[in-house]
Parts: sequence; structure tokens; C-alpha cells
Amino acid sequence: MSGHELHPLVKQLLDGDITLADLPAELRAEGEAALRLLAGVDRTDVSMPAVTWRVMAKLEGRRRRFLPWLLAPALAIAAALVIWLVPRTPAPASLVTVRFVLVAPDAKQVSLAGTFNQWDPQATPLVRAGAAGVWTATLTLPAGQHQYAFVVDGARWVPDPGAPAIDDGFGRRNSVLTL
Amino acid sequence: MQQGTGIAQRLAGRVPPQIASLVQELGTAASARGLPIDPLIDKAIEGSAKGVAPERVASAVRLVAMQLDTAATALRDGGLVADTLAIAAGEFAITAGLSGSDIKALARTGANAVALTVGLRVAGTLAALGVPPAEDIGLVSVALRSGEPVSALLSLPANVQSAIAKGATPAQAAAGLARAAAAQAAHGPPPDRGGGHPHLPHPPTPPHP
Repeated sequence: MSGHELHPLVKQLLDGDITLADLPAELRAEGEAALRLLAGVDRTDVSMPAVTWRVMAKLEGRRRRFLPWLLAPALAIAAALVIWLVPRTPAPASLVTVRFVLVAPDAKQVSLAGTFNQWDPQATPLVRAGAAGVWTATLTLPAGQHQYAFVVDGARWVPDPGAPAIDDGFGRRNSVLTL
Repeated sequence: MQQGTGIAQRLAGRVPPQIASLVQELGTAASARGLPIDPLIDKAIEGSAKGVAPERVASAVRLVAMQLDTAATALRDGGLVADTLAIAAGEFAITAGLSGSDIKALARTGANAVALTVGLRVAGTLAALGVPPAEDIGLVSVALRSGEPVSALLSLPANVQSAIAKGATPAQAAAGLARAAAAQAAHGPPPDRGGGHPHLPHPPTPPHP
């Protein structure tokens, strides 16, 4: 499969820094398509029953930030296209709302496992949004450093190709999210 | 003993008995030396969740224990009094490809423990993005020395990614940001024109090929 890199101006559009009218004519179609993709994403929060919230109990405030977003490069991997969304202005010593999006048309189920849910592949399912194969989960995480991977169909651990990744010590890669 | 019981409770039902025993042993020893135990527990749980063979999980947990020791030593050599969060952040940075010397260099910036912890996490993230250690430590050091807020530090990986998306190599992106930040620190911040980050500069324009 081929990889796809969004133009920086299209990323600024998704960030809310510019409008569609600010884009050069040749980028407007790409911008419109990206906006349609984002608009089609289910914004319902996913509950995380297995998360240990003891860290959060120490936190003073709770902030939710949906925008602006930084849309990381969308890259193709196997049968899935993974997009990583993270707030661009995280709040230290606080909670940050992060949306994880996976475009995986052929997947029957997708979940998220990481340091924030004890690596439990059943704890945080992504919700399928529409027929385009977009899977999404919105989590509120404590500020700090988190590692994670997508779990496709309960068996395949897929790092987020749009995010930095490190060796997991087991021959695979973990994606890294620093809030 | 109480520490060991806590570890056992957190691992109960999540890892094989031999891994639980190993983590209990390593964790108790680590705790006695002022090291954090969460990274050991997390790695054991992660390995088991991924279906990794117990022998390999054991090796990975032992490696984490060694990296915690390396990070703690580097921080101490850099002048930071023991801080478990900073040590865990240092361990992450080592996993991402940095060395004890790199951690020591960041500790020597004189940043407080909170800022240094964030700086280590950011440095590790930059390393994971492919930024070489010299440029990585150079950029994070400038940011730490300038006393910028933690939010500015946290914006560095996104700024580097943005520059990479425009065609810069990770090294060029980080070096350019470090130069711009150093120049800004020397001459004072530019007037706020209502856009972008209020503290650290925008990513540099990548050089033409």
C-alpha cells in the first residue's frame, strides 16, 4: 500500500489555524477531503473501566481540549491507515483529552492498549464510525508520557505510524505520546 | 516486605508466577535504592499482555532495572537529588536511544526536577522521532536553560515533526529550533503577533536541497 503525507497547510487547516479559503486552489480538494474525514469521526468518549486512576486522584484540575489538533502524517500500514491526533497545547499537571483514530477498513475490531490501561487489549475498544473504516476512541489521560499500540482483531499489535515509536523490548515497537 | 506485597497485588493474575517473583525481587531491591518500581511492573504486564514468552519478559524487565540504575546514576552525577519521576523519565530516554551522558548533560542545565522530568520525556520523544543525540540534547538543553514553561517544552516534538513534514531531516529540524531558541533567549522574545506559540519559535524553514 502507498503512504500518504498531508500537506503542512492542510494540517494547519485541521489545526484551525487557517480556513479553507486560505488554502491555495490546488490544495483545496485535499483540504476538503481531510475536513470530511475529521467531521466523520465519532466524538463519543470511550469508557476505560480497567484504567487505574490513582494518578488522576492527585491531579488538581481537569481540562478537556479538543482543538486545536495536530494531525500527524497519515501512513499506510498493512491493511490499515492510522492517524494520530493529539492536542497541540497540552496542560501540564492536568488531564488532556486525546483522540486516537485508526482507518482500518478490513478490521473487525480495534482496541487500544497501553500504559494507561495496563496494556489490556479489551479495556479500550475503538468505535467504528461510518463505512469508511474509521475507528476512533477519545481518552482523557494524565499529563505525562504514555506508550501504546493498536490491537487489530484481538491479535495484531500495530504501532501508530504517525507517532514516534521506541523498542518495546520484545521485538516490536511501542508508540509514544508525551503530554 | 510491604513493598513486595504491593507488587504482588498489582501483578496478581496478570503475569506468570515466575515473572511475578522476579519483579518482586527486582522491585524490592530497586525501591531500597530509591528507584521507581512502576516501570518494572509495567514492562512485566506489557510483555504478558502481548503474549511474550516468560523468559523474554524476564530479560526485558531486567533491562529496565539496569536502565533505571543508569538513569539514577546519571541524574545524581548531574546534580539532581533522587527523584523517582525523573529517574523513570531518564529510563524512557535511554530506551529511546539516549545515554547516561546525555541524561547527565540535561541534569546539568540546573533545571528543577519537574522541568527536568518533562525535558527527559521530551528528549526521549525526540530521539524516537529520529533526532540524533547531539541535536536532541542541544535543543532540550536550550529550552531548559531558557526557563520556558513546561508547555513550551512539550511543544518541541510537534515543532520538530512539523519541520520534518516540510522536508528537514530530524537533525536539521532540531538544530534549527535550538539556534532559533538560543537567539531568542539572547535577544528577548519577539513581539506577539497573535499567532503560533507564545514562547518557543516556529520550526525553521528546511534548507533547499
